[in-house]
Amino acid sequence: MDKKNNSRRNFISKSALAAFAALAGTKIVFGENFPSELEPIGLDELETPEGIPGKSDALTILNNKPWNAETPPHLLDPEITPANLMFVRNNGIPPTEYDLEKWTLTIEGEAAQQKKTYTLKKLYDNFAHYTYDLTLECGGNGRGEFNPPAKGNQWGLGGVACTRWTGVRLKDVLNDVGLKSTAAYIGYYGADTHLSGDSSKVVISRGVPIQKAMEDESLIAWAMNGEAIPKMNGYPLRLVMGGWPASVSGKWLTKIVIRDKEHDGPKMGGQSYRIPKYPVPPGTKVPDEDMKIIESMPVKSIITYPKTGAIIGKGQSFEVRGHAWAGDLKVKAVMVSIDFGVTWQKCELNPPKNRLAWQRWKTRITLPEFGYYELWARAIDENGKGQPMVLPGWNPKGYLNNACHRLAVKQA
Amino acid sequence: MTDQDKEKVYEQAIKQAKNTINVASVLVLAGVVFMIQLTYFPQFFSSTDQNISAFDTTAVDPMVMTMDLDPTEIENGIHVPSGLIVDDGVDLVIRTCGVCHSLGLVTQNKADREGWKDIIVWMQETQGLWNLGATEDAILTYLANNYAPVDEGRRRNLEVLEWHDL
Ligand code: HEC
Repeated sequence: MDKKNNSRRNFISKSALAAFAALAGTKIVFGENFPSELEPIGLDELETPEGIPGKSDALTILNNKPWNAETPPHLLDPEITPANLMFVRNNGIPPTEYDLEKWTLTIEGEAAQQKKTYTLKKLYDNFAHYTYDLTLECGGNGRGEFNPPAKGNQWGLGGVACTRWTGVRLKDVLNDVGLKSTAAYIGYYGADTHLSGDSSKVVISRGVPIQKAMEDESLIAWAMNGEAIPKMNGYPLRLVMGGWPASVSGKWLTKIVIRDKEHDGPKMGGQSYRIPKYPVPPGTKVPDEDMKIIESMPVKSIITYPKTGAIIGKGQSFEVRGHAWAGDLKVKAVMVSIDFGVTWQKCELNPPKNRLAWQRWKTRITLPEFGYYELWARAIDENGKGQPMVLPGWNPKGYLNNACHRLAVKQA
Repeated sequence: MTDQDKEKVYEQAIKQAKNTINVASVLVLAGVVFMIQLTYFPQFFSSTDQNISAFDTTAVDPMVMTMDLDPTEIENGIHVPSGLIVDDGVDLVIRTCGVCHSLGLVTQNKADREGWKDIIVWMQETQGLWNLGATEDAILTYLANNYAPVDEGRRRNLEVLEWHDL
């Protein structure tokens, strides 16, 4: 039991008057439906805990239990997102104790040739190391814009990062275990615990088809930006599979199952990380069987410079720059508009550092006269698909909002 | 069954018995308070005092007892520590919906009554939320009244918090 729960129990059992109020307010209200392993919350517990462990307080906090926080777009300007600025999307409570000697990763499942367990040292010593810059974006990034609103944390633009990951290839480890010919999917399990306090409940266990798992860039990683992975981002070990909803890249990794069918862990089914199989009008209730799993994320870009709200001196030109990415694909063009999409200016675009890394783009802009302008950025992937300027297809859980990023500037 | 298991079962049984006694004694106590109030102080709760205190609705309906929100923590109709809008049922929402996750998950979301009901059912089916019993109605009313969707169109106007010279 953690400290917080202890203090909860104390609060409930302490002073007489408070005890009556608490008792009156809780036992009667909740009656026998209230699970015995939980205590109702007391007012003394509402204070926001101090910032997110290991993270900059410049992050925008969406939720402090579980921690969910995003990066303001202008702080995503560096080529590689600094560790303390990478977004956090926790579904449960991260582990609090880490014994690196004892931490193990087990591979098993109906389509595995054998069950095999690796210590961190064994992973490190027995397999070749690889380093890639990989873009991870939360499937719900941009959810806050959907109308009617979609349930969940209301992400703005900053549920995305491109960081430098080091580890071993997932395929090398899977091949070491041995795949049966029936291998179709992998699923992960991590060491985080469920918010309800029920230790038998799995927080989240998602995965990818075996083809994605076997790609060169699919890593079992222990380092980010040359250092240990931040605690909130999965220390000491996690999966990293760039270009897909970040929820397939399991954190605090302890187990991988090789399945002979689509993995069916919590948050694979129902409406989670799924969109309708066919376009629906906004606000439609879509039955579970008409939903399909999100795979590669769509093309998207952000403007990281200037910060929204910039006032530009008369006659001055200024640089506009950002990053663009397109799931499994490459971005082939980025353009910027200062007139609400009437005309577009083509930007310089760098190739990705490696497959699945985001791409730097930039251009110079001159505003024609005094007034209010919006900078809009629009990327196009190698198959010719571009970002929409209004919200893309509404879906019940508000995934895949890749509408073009807009920010406000003025000429003085 | 090992001895340890037995011990667990006993512990569980004692815990449940204690819970039942707690519930029963509080119900009796509330009943007595209710009777006394009805008999001797029939006007006691009809005051128009806006302060929310621990006991001013206890006797009215023991199912929706409020807890003591500190009036100095209420600003512009918001209970600052929880971030929730102060309205009937806010205490129930704090107590119920703040147990597993922060109430930030409540204040961020907007839905009509049916939408909130769906969220609750989803948590009951998949996330270990218990049956809310008679409190569900008050909770849904609070949520639907205070966290209802607003039509935002297909794209909102941009909001700039701070203009700065480049
Ligand atoms: C038994 C634990 C528990 C309780 C009590 C609880 N919730 Fe939740 N709730 C969860 C979990 C777990 C999630 C998923 C969190 C995540 O994935 O970040 C969740 C998610 C949510 C979401 C986001 C839904 C989504 O689709 O992502 C909302 C809104 C919410 N809860 C509201 C409430 C309200 C209102 C109450 C009070 C009636 C409540 N919760 C009580 C466990 C609980």
